[in-house]
Amino acid sequence: MALASLGRAPPPFFRQGPSAFSRLLVFSALALLVMVADARFQMMQPVRSVIASVLYPLQWLAMQPLALTQAARNRLASFTADESAWAQLQQKLSEQSLRANQVDQLQLENKRLRDLLALRQRLEQTALAAQVLYDAADPYRRKVIVDKGLVQGLRLGAPVLDERGVLGQVTRIFPLVSEVTLITDRDHATPVVNARTGARGVAYGETSGYADAMELRFMAANADVAVGDLLTTSGVDGVYPAGLPVARIEKIERRTDAVFARIYCVPLALVSGAGHVLVLDQAASNELGRPVPEVEPKPDKIGGRR
Amino acid sequence: MIMRPGQRLLMPVNPTFLWLTLLFALLANMLANMLLWGRAAWAPDVLSIVLVFWTVHQTLRVGMAVAFVAGLLVDVHQGGLLGQHAMAYTAMSYFAIMAHRRLLWFTLPDQAVQVFPLFALAHAVELVLNATVGGAFPGWSVVLAPVAEALLWPVVSWMLLAPQRRAPDPDENRPL
Repeated sequence: MALASLGRAPPPFFRQGPSAFSRLLVFSALALLVMVADARFQMMQPVRSVIASVLYPLQWLAMQPLALTQAARNRLASFTADESAWAQLQQKLSEQSLRANQVDQLQLENKRLRDLLALRQRLEQTALAAQVLYDAADPYRRKVIVDKGLVQGLRLGAPVLDERGVLGQVTRIFPLVSEVTLITDRDHATPVVNARTGARGVAYGETSGYADAMELRFMAANADVAVGDLLTTSGVDGVYPAGLPVARIEKIERRTDAVFARIYCVPLALVSGAGHVLVLDQAASNELGRPVPEVEPKPDKIGGRR
Repeated sequence: MIMRPGQRLLMPVNPTFLWLTLLFALLANMLANMLLWGRAAWAPDVLSIVLVFWTVHQTLRVGMAVAFVAGLLVDVHQGGLLGQHAMAYTAMSYFAIMAHRRLLWFTLPDQAVQVFPLFALAHAVELVLNATVGGAFPGWSVVLAPVAEALLWPVVSWMLLAPQRRAPDPDENRPL
């Protein structure tokens, strides 16, 4: 047997390159650099876009069975289920048509009152329907991928809703898909208002690893909150329009030694298993402009905490 | 070349096969994520098994640079912190290089026991990095991931070595 047909070549004697340990140091330092640039300075978006474009054919290939199974599931959905769903939708439609009629009149009334008060008209929002493709695989975060991107005119920070309530917001855009951070993500804060009492607050994502929930933070221990209260967006952040349902209060823990009560809420939107969603166009509400701080930030302080 | 008694002489590896298996492992990860279990913390990472396999068997071709780039690709697909998998795979690859001469002296089940710490290390690196930047704790099922990867090691090894176990001179008695 010729020696060239053996699977194990002998190691080279002289040209061995840098040692494994020095390569470990170099690549670890590089990885650390990338992580700091990504997490702290948000500088890696161009690199991410380039890698995502390279990766897209592979992702597209992996998505084909997904599309096939979805089509098959739709086709195999039983007739009776469809029928009962149709009946439910009919009922819901009749209920909502009543409300829609009332809304028309209320809008008219509202418009007159606003004209009277010379208030700024509430800006019209345009929306884009999108479909959730899959959950992002990172178990440390709560994100989903939707099938609309830069090509369809999505904007960074656009709020995403489903038919029940607020789902999240677009945090990263690629040409054909984009990432939506859910309201249950640990880093996501939603300014809310208690629909019963009108008290404002901030609801943070709370993921314990088992269940996806939210926590209404910084409410005083004796604040007027009750189990079952509805939280809607307050609109003070300029991201979410006011009045969208967000969550319902599930559990309240008041402890004598704590200043704040621990309040857990369950999001109304389907944060796990959302199918079709609505992405609002953010251009309209941004026309109001964000408040600009009057004091110039000190030049010696670079890169403060987010 | 000193070998374990009873170990077979292998054919040289086809480089195209090597790179295609890495690509397929990435594809398998994506498919499992999209179709089967979403963002499950216990899901085994097939790409890390294939990476360690080729680092052990073909140290001159697949090393830390490949592991680093593969980690970046996984990070962009998963949408997490960019560089966390690059760091984890680099560390895993370093210990695979350290162990690659020793590992082939053992049978496949014994090898699985020895590569388990490598996979555990990779997941531990990710856990620590995410705890540093404030990610959520994914739940205790994350300890099952390296176990699943170690259990898959004999299967993956057997499959990836199959083309190299063919006869160098096939005849009608040995068609493959």
